[in-house]
Amino acid sequence: MNAKVRPLVIWLILSAITLGYLALDSSADDHGAYRASSVVTTIAIGLALVKVRLIFREFMQVRNAPALLCRITDLWVLLIGAALLGSYFIGLAAR
Amino acid sequence: MRRNNPKRELWFAWYTTVIFYNFYFIVFFPVTHAQPPPHPYWSDALVANWFGHNHHGLIIGFGIIFAVAGLTAPQNALIAYSMRRMSVSRVFAWSYLVLYSVAAIPGLLLLCVALSVGALRPARDPAQLHWLYDFGLLSFTGTMGLFLIGSLVWMLAILLDKNRVLPKWFGYLNLCNALTEVVIAPAWIFHAGVFSWNGLISWWVDIVVFGIYTGAFLTQLRKLIQREDFGDGPLPELTKPHRAGASLAGTAP
Amino acid sequence: MTEIAEAGPPPGADRQPAEAAGKPARHIPGQPDMWVLVLFEALVFTAYFAVYLYHRSAYSGLFLRSQASLSPWLGTLDTLLLLTSSMFMLRCVQAARAGAFRSAMANAHLTGAMGAAFLASKITEWFLLVHGGHTFTSNQFFMYYFFLTGIHLLHLLIGFIILGVIIYQLRGPRRRSLELVETCATYWHTVDLLWVLIFSLLYVVR
Repeated sequence: MNAKVRPLVIWLILSAITLGYLALDSSADDHGAYRASSVVTTIAIGLALVKVRLIFREFMQVRNAPALLCRITDLWVLLIGAALLGSYFIGLAAR
Repeated sequence: MRRNNPKRELWFAWYTTVIFYNFYFIVFFPVTHAQPPPHPYWSDALVANWFGHNHHGLIIGFGIIFAVAGLTAPQNALIAYSMRRMSVSRVFAWSYLVLYSVAAIPGLLLLCVALSVGALRPARDPAQLHWLYDFGLLSFTGTMGLFLIGSLVWMLAILLDKNRVLPKWFGYLNLCNALTEVVIAPAWIFHAGVFSWNGLISWWVDIVVFGIYTGAFLTQLRKLIQREDFGDGPLPELTKPHRAGASLAGTAP
Repeated sequence: MTEIAEAGPPPGADRQPAEAAGKPARHIPGQPDMWVLVLFEALVFTAYFAVYLYHRSAYSGLFLRSQASLSPWLGTLDTLLLLTSSMFMLRCVQAARAGAFRSAMANAHLTGAMGAAFLASKITEWFLLVHGGHTFTSNQFFMYYFFLTGIHLLHLLIGFIILGVIIYQLRGPRRRSLELVETCATYWHTVDLLWVLIFSLLYVVR
């Protein structure tokens, strides 16, 4: 892909995912009343992590960085995911 | 060490810093139990009970702190020294010295005084004890502004410095430290929960950041002293055996 | 203000990543040091998020009812604004690398404009919420909401200062440190990255 076009393509992907949230959002509602859903939460967090990784790799140019930084940022995405999902589900279990 | 080793004073300052932090940790945590802070939402009776339970720890522990509080001076001086060695204006070093010297009053001494006063007369009215408790713990936790600005002063000096006295990543870590101190501000509003003076966010996350930051600055100051050549230009890196021509032998005591 | 591009090749040198078949020169854009801040702040924010999520799922009724007061449209708009700002920032860096400083400057200003639009949107949203009776101390959800958006906004304001550094660097031909521009860009993307997470946790998570 042409280096000049790439930022725009990445932006389009990220924007599409963002707009996808609106669909996720409306599917989660019960006639306007919000209801709890682990599925929606997991998808929302998962999509956020996809975006975070894209931002790391494309906007922050980790894609072209030494392998160590690639691995560290991927590890960070995993850590964040584990922390977020873990705290959500542990909180649910604690209720 | 040779006679008149010019680094002797710097090492003295560094070791007093380490010694002070050891005193601080031992006194504030296991001896006085002032840290982690007890709860803001306690009733007068519970607070009076806490003072009674910790009576000897408070008197002895803070007595020690009053004796050694002066050890913070060489620490502030060493940090200010790092800024004097930088290529930036001396204003940075002086500002930091003033800020952190003043910060010791609300950020350390007021807590010690208030809780010692409370412990001095166990028969004091519980409402008065509660007043002293709130006064001490809030001043300790809630007066982060001075420390925050001090961190930013050091950060700016490091980032502007051309002498490579301290690494840029440590400059950025100062920003992280400063930002976590902003997070403590809600302790003035909340009596319970994650933003209270002992809350999960205001205290626990912050103490982890502060611990990492303290470890980092102790290590970096140590490296600074090892590298110091008492010149005006960029500090040489620590010598490795294969680097010929390096002017400084990394002498650790 | 700082060293002039003494690290790294001068602007105009070909540092564009080669396409699939080429030999990409693997380097970290800007100072590697900035990544310490990026990764550290990401962890600190993750700690805040974890606390929020734990309390949220333990008290979900209140959180769900309060969350309904937020507008997912505004949240989406905010996200799109910051994503767009990041795109312009990347283009700014690319232009600076290629020596096209007028283009780089234009992209830097567009980045700032998107950031300013986000700021306006966020303040508007806060105003509407406060006007509707929801404040920092209203309930647990709004405590987290105002805290997370507030601390993020603080990072954005710092981002404006850092954007100022970029513009200052790009303005004068003697000053242009590509390393500094790239370092500052890395920070800006972090502001975007953090918002992406905050948006999903405050507006979408149920």
